[in-house]
Amino acid sequence: MKLQGSYTLPAKREVVWQLLNEPKQLAACLPGCEQIEAVGSDHYQVKLKLGFAAISGSYSGSVRLSDKKPPESFRMNVEGRGTAGFVQGEAKIELVDDGDQTVVRYSGVASVGGLVASVGNRMMELAARRILEQFFANVASQLRA
Amino acid sequence: MIPAAFEYHAPKSLEEALRLLNRHGSEAKLLAGGHSLLPLMKLRLAAPRCVIDIGRIHALRYIREENGRIAIGALTTHSEVLESPLLRAKCPLLPQTAREIGDVQVRNRGTIGGSLAHADPAADYPAAVLALEAEIVVASADGTRTLRAAEFFVDMLTTALLPGEILTEVRVPVLSPRTGTAYRKLHQPASGFAIVGAAARLTLGPGGKVEHVAVGLTGVAPKAYRATAVEKALTGKKVSEKQLAEAARHAVPQDVELLSDLHASSEYRKAMAVVFARRALEDAFSHAQGKKK
Amino acid sequence: MATATRYMGRPLKRKEDPRLIQGLAHYVDDLRLPEMHYVAFVRSPHAHARIRSIDTSRAQTAPGVLAVLTGQDLDNAMGVIPCAAQLPEMKLALRPPLAKERVLFVGEPVALVVAADRYAARDAAELVEVEYEPLTPVVDPEKALAKGAPVLHPQYSDNVAYRWELEGGDIKAAFAKADKVIRQRMVNQRLIPVAMEPRVVVADYKPGENKLTVWSSTQIPHLLRTQIAAVLGVPEYIVHVIAPEVGGGFGSKLNVYAEEVLVAHLAMRLGKPMKWTESRRENFQATIHGRDQIATLELAVQRDGTILGLRCRILADLGAYYQLLTPLIPTLTGLMICGCYKIPAARVEITGVFTNKMATDAYRGAGRPEATYFIERAIDLVAAELKKDPAEIRRKNFPKPKEFPYATPTGLIYDSANYQKSLDVALKKSGYRKLRAQQAKARRQGRYLGIGLSTYVEICAMGPSSAMPAGGWESATVRVEPTGKVNILTGASPHGQGQETSFAQIAADLLGLEPDDILVVHGDTAVVPYGIGTFGSRATAVGGTAVYTALTKIRDKLAAIAGHILQEEPKRLVFRDKKIYLKSNPAKSLAFAEAVSAAYVAKTLPPGMEPGLEATYFFEPSNFTFPFGAHVAVVEVDPETGEVRLLRYVAVDDCGNVINPLLVDGQVHGGIVQSLGQAFLEEAVYDENGQLLTGELTDYAIPRAEDVPRLETARTITPSPVNPLGVKGVGEAGTIGATPALVNAVVDALAPFGVRHLDMPAKRERIWQLIRKARQVGSRPASRRAGGRRDRRAR
Repeated sequence: MKLQGSYTLPAKREVVWQLLNEPKQLAACLPGCEQIEAVGSDHYQVKLKLGFAAISGSYSGSVRLSDKKPPESFRMNVEGRGTAGFVQGEAKIELVDDGDQTVVRYSGVASVGGLVASVGNRMMELAARRILEQFFANVASQLRA
Repeated sequence: MIPAAFEYHAPKSLEEALRLLNRHGSEAKLLAGGHSLLPLMKLRLAAPRCVIDIGRIHALRYIREENGRIAIGALTTHSEVLESPLLRAKCPLLPQTAREIGDVQVRNRGTIGGSLAHADPAADYPAAVLALEAEIVVASADGTRTLRAAEFFVDMLTTALLPGEILTEVRVPVLSPRTGTAYRKLHQPASGFAIVGAAARLTLGPGGKVEHVAVGLTGVAPKAYRATAVEKALTGKKVSEKQLAEAARHAVPQDVELLSDLHASSEYRKAMAVVFARRALEDAFSHAQGKKK
Repeated sequence: MATATRYMGRPLKRKEDPRLIQGLAHYVDDLRLPEMHYVAFVRSPHAHARIRSIDTSRAQTAPGVLAVLTGQDLDNAMGVIPCAAQLPEMKLALRPPLAKERVLFVGEPVALVVAADRYAARDAAELVEVEYEPLTPVVDPEKALAKGAPVLHPQYSDNVAYRWELEGGDIKAAFAKADKVIRQRMVNQRLIPVAMEPRVVVADYKPGENKLTVWSSTQIPHLLRTQIAAVLGVPEYIVHVIAPEVGGGFGSKLNVYAEEVLVAHLAMRLGKPMKWTESRRENFQATIHGRDQIATLELAVQRDGTILGLRCRILADLGAYYQLLTPLIPTLTGLMICGCYKIPAARVEITGVFTNKMATDAYRGAGRPEATYFIERAIDLVAAELKKDPAEIRRKNFPKPKEFPYATPTGLIYDSANYQKSLDVALKKSGYRKLRAQQAKARRQGRYLGIGLSTYVEICAMGPSSAMPAGGWESATVRVEPTGKVNILTGASPHGQGQETSFAQIAADLLGLEPDDILVVHGDTAVVPYGIGTFGSRATAVGGTAVYTALTKIRDKLAAIAGHILQEEPKRLVFRDKKIYLKSNPAKSLAFAEAVSAAYVAKTLPPGMEPGLEATYFFEPSNFTFPFGAHVAVVEVDPETGEVRLLRYVAVDDCGNVINPLLVDGQVHGGIVQSLGQAFLEEAVYDENGQLLTGELTDYAIPRAEDVPRLETARTITPSPVNPLGVKGVGEAGTIGATPALVNAVVDALAPFGVRHLDMPAKRERIWQLIRKARQVGSRPASRRAGGRRDRRAR
């Protein structure tokens, strides 16, 4: 599953960068994040409740940030597993100045396995997109706050 | 196919159901006919802590004409809609749509309220209620409110229902003479859901001009939508099959986020939306002209 | 001593049906034993991974849990999952019942939970935490062969399971002499059998008696018994296997599964009865799949349509491990690749390859639907290339009836046939010439009708033991009770085929009784003699012949007893109307029951005769049988949507003599519908990570009643010389003959768009794309010309 898109955030990219690299604030933005814990530099253990409407599952896993080029770009690697299967994804995230705003471009690949892969095919991509949108919307509202 | 443990309630009245819903909040799911929620629970894709089975609230199971509209209780099954003489005579689009839902077993259990509240992007009814400009009545502890179909569907599996609200009734218009309706559908071969479902309603005015037209499309996008560009191309015009086909080409607006899955790519879906919108319009048009269909 | 045919050949309603349609039949899942415990499996969500660790601690302490076991816990407790097939230089791919170090397909069991009820078992299974290290999955069989592809079984250097070759005739000369060589790559996609009843196993061990009883939804109770004993390392005599009502198999229950041996082991290990009922999702992931072959076929032809030679390379995707017959199935495709044509030279090369998927194995037809599809599509390609009618190309290349027994270049001896006749009947019954005229007319109106032919031969009555991995004979015991009622104990294991009825028909005729006087018993290893089982369209031709021969022994003995009592020559006696009487003087008679009674009372027996009335026969066939037929499909393609609708289906099948035409029709109908599934709808789709995307019936489309028009069936009858009943077998004919007829019809419908071939399933979007592409390049449908041409050629 290829995921690609962009989102405009209401702050300069240095501010955005800081937020995305601060575990507490990041946690507040991750949809369904119940727990986040730094276990190394740029390496977090997370517990997420992910899903869509009636369909949801608990996942535990890790988020790693790498190839950091502040405040321009980084790579994010997410791994999680839960009763409904597993999720793995890696994306390159770029921050581009746009006046007072920042355009975040992401492009990556995610794979889903287990139950959700074998029965949720038709809604998976859309659900993933919605979760990402939710994430950025949360970031935006954090920035506004 | 064994669900996770859950607490089960079977209220006998709407009031009791609302009380339970308030008490359990987001941990509760409403169960009506069980054809959306139960498969998810059996697979454990959904594991609500509490299930409130409203299927026994018989007061929510009716089809009646009141104040120039037809009111359909949320727990009315697809079979009851399909077989209703009242709907067949005065609002045939709903029975035409119900006929295309699932199979006999599904139609005997599944309910109109359950289907609409679940808001599956490939469900059939959403296209029809949009084309009918139906009203959707929801109840909560604070009373009831009425939503237009167009504002009811928010996103994939997401509606305008707020926490603590229960969909109780769908109201559809009594269609005027010289109105034709049709629902045309491309079935997903395994599940029977709509890859594309097009519901059309078309009223001819004096002189044979299109007085009113509404087209609802399901299966194409994360939520069902009105094909307003198609409607605009036809309203107020005297039309032939050629114009219907021309108009149908606008069935998929530029900004629609197209669905794509194993059974149909977004490209194919888009093309089929045009084909089935046209077919539904053709049928509705000939029906409106009084031709047998 | 004559046998009057009163029941054989008649459309008797099935004796099985009243209990089935009233819900009175008993399946394995209906069993409830005291203290029964339930098994749930923890299965891999990864297609290819190393197991780093398994933490069962939370599951162990969950409510109701009796035991949680992993592959390590089973060490040395049992052997590997058996594979009966053995090909030269075949690599072994032995699968432990629970994965130990690595998992090789999604759905492979890695741990199991035993609990007091199935909810507790399922809940606890979710608490087992498995840490995986994902490895790169190998999904595409062609890429699996590439240099540098990850290797599934690390003891080997590549993913090739075996290479198998077959050559007959002068293949070089054939291709050198050819006017044209027709070549096509064709995919026979992976299918999921989807028996209505999933697999279910119950096991109960009684330590005092040292008796292990296993109820399994299986097609092969005796082979399962032997294999359970072998895998568990216990004496075979302690194992008792029962296959009660079985809700469909289609080959998917012709196997020995990990879950069967594990549940048996658990009953012994934990001392409680165990039950496991497969979910539909497990059934999709971990019950065998079928087909999955990619063929490149070449035909060397002369300008007049005569075929001189055939070359075929087949890549068979075997999945991750072997199940019982996995490696063997593609070789059946190789053997049958020449179809019903006289092809002087043939060469087949098969490569079996490992991928990170469930194993493929015998699925209704098992290798022959693939062969038939490849050759029948190729024949249509020859017709298209030479601009001749497909019926004409077929007729030109049939061996003549007097050429039978006919030896193929692949080394088979076809027993008997009249291919010309079945094609003639099919063309006449379908109104072929008229259909072609209708097609031409429809094309002028912008409608796309397609007419597809298939003339097939298949290989049945599996088979002589020399050609089978575990014996090809079948057994029967006929036991007549003192009251004159007859028990037929068959080693075959019917699960929907209707032999409780057809075997009773044979017995009724041989003994002059009514079918209700006869009980057919099967599926219980403690009751029936050792048998091979029901698969490969063998139950009637092999099992029925065993029944027939055992019955003749009984009849001979009864004739001797009756002759002794009546003071007549036994061979002058006839058995009819529950009497044994003198042919020339029916008044001189003895009631059947009286003769039976004499065998038991044993006072009036001929001197030296053994008392009692029981006979057993193990029938070893001298050859396979080769049923054949001709099918005609008529479809219409909607050029706007790509939807295909089947308008008519005519099937003319020749399965030799017919014992019950109703059963034969039922088999043909079911087979055709299953074929329709493969041709138009079904496909097991794994994504590039080896996830099975068609994981449930919501995404794996099987045919529905509304997809099927009234099926028009007819028969020609060419008795088989291989057995005294003259029967051939018909259990798989529909799935073998119909698929190419359906696809040929679709391709024929799309001919005006320049379509030459289309891989299955003929999905709407694929067809829509082809039409769109054709329209884009501006090749307007040349309807009139195409139609007219067909018209003149039609017969």
